[in-house]
Amino acid sequence: MNRALKNPITYVAFIIPTLALYALFFVYPVIVSFFYGFFQWDGITEKVFIGFDNFVRLWQDEVFRKALLNNFYFMAFSLIVNIPLVFLISIIISKVRRMRDFYKSAVFVPVVISTATVAILFGVLYNYDSGMINQFIRLVAPEDWAREWLSDPKLAMLSILIANAWQNIGFFIVLCLAAILNIPKEIVEASKLDGVNGWQETWSITLPLVRPIMFVMLLLTVSGTMKVLDIVQIMTNGGPFQSTEVMSTYMLKVGFRSLELGYGSAIGVAMFIIILVLTGILQRITKSEEVQY
Amino acid sequence: MERSRSPQWWMHLFLMGYVVVLLFPLLWLFMSSFKTNREITVNTWALPTSFNFDNYIAAWETANIGKYAWNSTFVTVVACVLTLLFAAMTSFAIARMKYKKTNKAIYQFILLGLIVPPGALFIPLYRLVQGIKLFGQPLYDTHWSLILVYCTYALPITVFIIYAFMLSIPNELEEAGIVDGLGATGLFFKVIIPISLPALVTVFILNFISNWNEYILSQLFITSESLKTLPTGMATFNDGYRTNFASLSAAVIISIIPVLAVYVFLQRQIIEGMTAGSVKG
Repeated sequence: MNRALKNPITYVAFIIPTLALYALFFVYPVIVSFFYGFFQWDGITEKVFIGFDNFVRLWQDEVFRKALLNNFYFMAFSLIVNIPLVFLISIIISKVRRMRDFYKSAVFVPVVISTATVAILFGVLYNYDSGMINQFIRLVAPEDWAREWLSDPKLAMLSILIANAWQNIGFFIVLCLAAILNIPKEIVEASKLDGVNGWQETWSITLPLVRPIMFVMLLLTVSGTMKVLDIVQIMTNGGPFQSTEVMSTYMLKVGFRSLELGYGSAIGVAMFIIILVLTGILQRITKSEEVQY
Repeated sequence: MERSRSPQWWMHLFLMGYVVVLLFPLLWLFMSSFKTNREITVNTWALPTSFNFDNYIAAWETANIGKYAWNSTFVTVVACVLTLLFAAMTSFAIARMKYKKTNKAIYQFILLGLIVPPGALFIPLYRLVQGIKLFGQPLYDTHWSLILVYCTYALPITVFIIYAFMLSIPNELEEAGIVDGLGATGLFFKVIIPISLPALVTVFILNFISNWNEYILSQLFITSESLKTLPTGMATFNDGYRTNFASLSAAVIISIIPVLAVYVFLQRQIIEGMTAGSVKG
């Protein structure tokens, strides 16, 4: 019976394309990036082995520290502003009886637009003279409240965070909404018999039961904000005065503009390790919290 | 039911407010795309005085959007089809064929790809692509460089989803096929693939959107103007026309419209497909 499914030639033929691509474009670069990290190399002349010097330099590099802080700023903003907003909106959508599908489709619209386009769109919205944001401010508030959103070092980061939130929140709302609507009806009914209702139900039933999706959102937020790149690169490319520099924009500048491929790879390795450690910690914390209906 | 009596109008008010704030920028941009630069500054909130398509014509001609869109379509479709084919073959082999130990090892090896962010690998990947020759031709600055790399980085999540689906297919269906004299390849194409169609559609959409929107790799690998994809082409246009809002608005609208049109028809599948990728921590 099992003869047909024990065919070594087919087996190998079915697996080789995947493994070949995977070995060449994934496994090899992973190994090489660790390797490059120990060299001083401009990509043209011979590599010079310098041991851990790149990593020591990274530790003392003011710009890298600034970039890492900006990644954490990104993460903190997403955790403190985006996620509560996601919960609030998903809970309200789950409570309305009509037009639920409409709201779901509407909030998801920005998610399907490419990040490059979103970055350009917000570049237009934030413009000092003609941008929608300043025009709106001039309409409802004193003229001098208008700002140079992307060229003011104090505001540039916040402006990017808002654009990023605009694009990403819908994705999280849909995830969270699916989890809320997935809670078995019996639990909600039973709690009603116990005299629980309305927002009490949200607090004591819904929130504890959607913890697994909360965990998924935390994980996505942490890894997503640590490797954020497209939106920053197009909107400000780290400027003005490196006020919006993040690890990946710095890595690309070091690697491709200054042609320090060794140091650039070391930044890549550091980024990878930071993401691994942070998501590892998160997984540790939440592992014990499996939800059972 | 107690619930049905509770008033809901304020919840709709809140949600409507949110949707308006969220989508108004797109509407504003749409209106701006029919105005002149001066009108955008002076009459921001007014409806355009006429539907003149000058900006669109200018954007289409100077920004080369038609060419970029074609390049994006080619790269995206080929990469998605290859990914789907390779991932389905591999998933079939490791989910259905009887090589227990190797199956498990290969599956876990492929899942490693979900942990490492491609963002950390740009430098070695760039060097690698620059050094490779495919049939005597350099790979760098060709669409194939993007297709192969997109395909590789989509494989782990695609295998993960298709594998889970194929594992759940009952043995009886296969056995019926074997009785009919099908070999492994026949089972794959005639039995397993048709049953797995829902999972295949989901991952196709997931990969389609992420390839269509990919920006950084395309910017690193492609230097020829005529080979650029839509996101990179748009970014170049943005750098050159930062102050010409009228053209810029039109260009953004042109690049959004096809995506929104597809979204209107396939929203359920698109939402499902994109959220299926959320296991990719």
